[in-house]
Amino acid sequence: MARYGMVIDLKRCYGCYSCVMGCKQANCTPPGVFWSRVLRGEMGVFPNSVRQALPVLCNQCEEPDCMKVCPTGATYQTDDGIVRVDKDKCIGCKYCMMACPYGARYSVPEYKSYFPEGLPLSDYEKHCMQVWEEKRGCGVATKCDFCIDRRAEGREPACVQVCPGKARVFGDLDDPESEISYLIKTKRGFVLRPEVGTEPKVYYLPPR
Amino acid sequence: MGSEKLEGQVQVEWRWLIAAYLFLAGVGGGAFLTGVIADLRGGADWALVSKIGVFLGVPCVLIGTLFLLADLGRPFNAWRVWMKPGTSWIARGTIIIVLFMIFAAIQTAFWIWPFPGSIGNAHGAIAILGAIFGFLTVIYTGLLLGYSQPIALWRTALLPVLFFVSAVSTGIMAIVLIGQNQGVGEGKLALLAHIDALILVFEMFVLIMFLYNAYRTLESRFSAKRILTGAVAPAFWLGVVACGLLVPFFLELLGSGALAEGLAAVLGLFGGLCLRYSILAGGTLDPVTAAGFEFARVDRTKEPMPAMGKVPPS
Repeated sequence: MARYGMVIDLKRCYGCYSCVMGCKQANCTPPGVFWSRVLRGEMGVFPNSVRQALPVLCNQCEEPDCMKVCPTGATYQTDDGIVRVDKDKCIGCKYCMMACPYGARYSVPEYKSYFPEGLPLSDYEKHCMQVWEEKRGCGVATKCDFCIDRRAEGREPACVQVCPGKARVFGDLDDPESEISYLIKTKRGFVLRPEVGTEPKVYYLPPR
Repeated sequence: MGSEKLEGQVQVEWRWLIAAYLFLAGVGGGAFLTGVIADLRGGADWALVSKIGVFLGVPCVLIGTLFLLADLGRPFNAWRVWMKPGTSWIARGTIIIVLFMIFAAIQTAFWIWPFPGSIGNAHGAIAILGAIFGFLTVIYTGLLLGYSQPIALWRTALLPVLFFVSAVSTGIMAIVLIGQNQGVGEGKLALLAHIDALILVFEMFVLIMFLYNAYRTLESRFSAKRILTGAVAPAFWLGVVACGLLVPFFLELLGSGALAEGLAAVLGLFGGLCLRYSILAGGTLDPVTAAGFEFARVDRTKEPMPAMGKVPPS
């Protein structure tokens, strides 16, 4: 059975936020919900300072803390390693949002517009709201699921496809021949916060 | 590791509604424990105090649970909350507070049971069971918050201790407040007030240790600063330190009479609520580090999209 993961090459990432916008557009996420985020960091003092962007998303952990703390069992793990939320079981207690070491879970009480209040929703926003309420729901916990619907059509996750620097690679961690396994082995891929014991499946390649 | 120059990301989800539940569960559990101790050790002389304490158990926790339901995103699904006691502290907690309410309700019923002779040993057994689950009700939330991996402020063994001490203190204050109206003797009220003053000293000690530990731990230093000098400071210094600890302490130690005890109780209860709020509002997720860099998280206390201006009237 495949075990899906992702590799993000920090040398290639230059912080353009295309992955953030691509994810937003593909999944119709409302304001404040960022399944794919880019954090900025800086090291050193001018003239010897370096800047780095860090794209973060749900790490689809092997031992997810969010699944452990969920009281209803709404958060579950599929056979191919993706952690999903069953919106009919979720009660919106937001414990998973406190427990995720990576801050990857989001919940909105209602679908707000990106534009100032008082304006009617545009047709595109109406479509997005419908998709959001059908697939994700308001008042419940939501998270990245490595674009299950796109993968069912044979496409890659949105963030992987739109990245202009080709910094993101999606693949099967269990397959030793896949590009992602090769990159992790040869370029010393590391994960975020390995000490919390969640065994994340998103690997990063060092920037230098 | 965390960094002093980087701000953490404040958690915005659990605030006053959850603080209200934590406070009420503490008062209910603490009052019940005090009532049971008064019953088992004080005998018939302390019967009224014990009755008040036991009677407070169920209503406080029940109203607190309503606050919990109000915070849920999907409250009508709340019956599902039992499903995973194996790993989830919310599921375990629900079982604990329901068992507490059952035992407390039975204990309450014993006080108004019209056939006093038939209870016998069951009275003591139910009291002990109720006390155990009352104790668990008060501390399990400290363990629940401590399970949160990224929020270092809560991830300490001192939190259940702090919740327990505060619960006993606010429980005694609630008994004193109601006891004044119900005709409990002056001597007993004064004794309760003095015991509470001692407990407040211990609570001050635990709170100082809690904040000291939070400051010394690098990941939670931003949380500690946020509570002591940041956005939560007014609620902390006015609500927790002044109203919740210092003023009641001096009133209970040096003052005497109904007014001093009543005022101390009211301020102390308000302080207990502010304590829970300060701990929740101070919770911040620690910064992310990778490849030698430290990355600041997004500040979610601010609106994600600043207002672009109001729509002009047409």
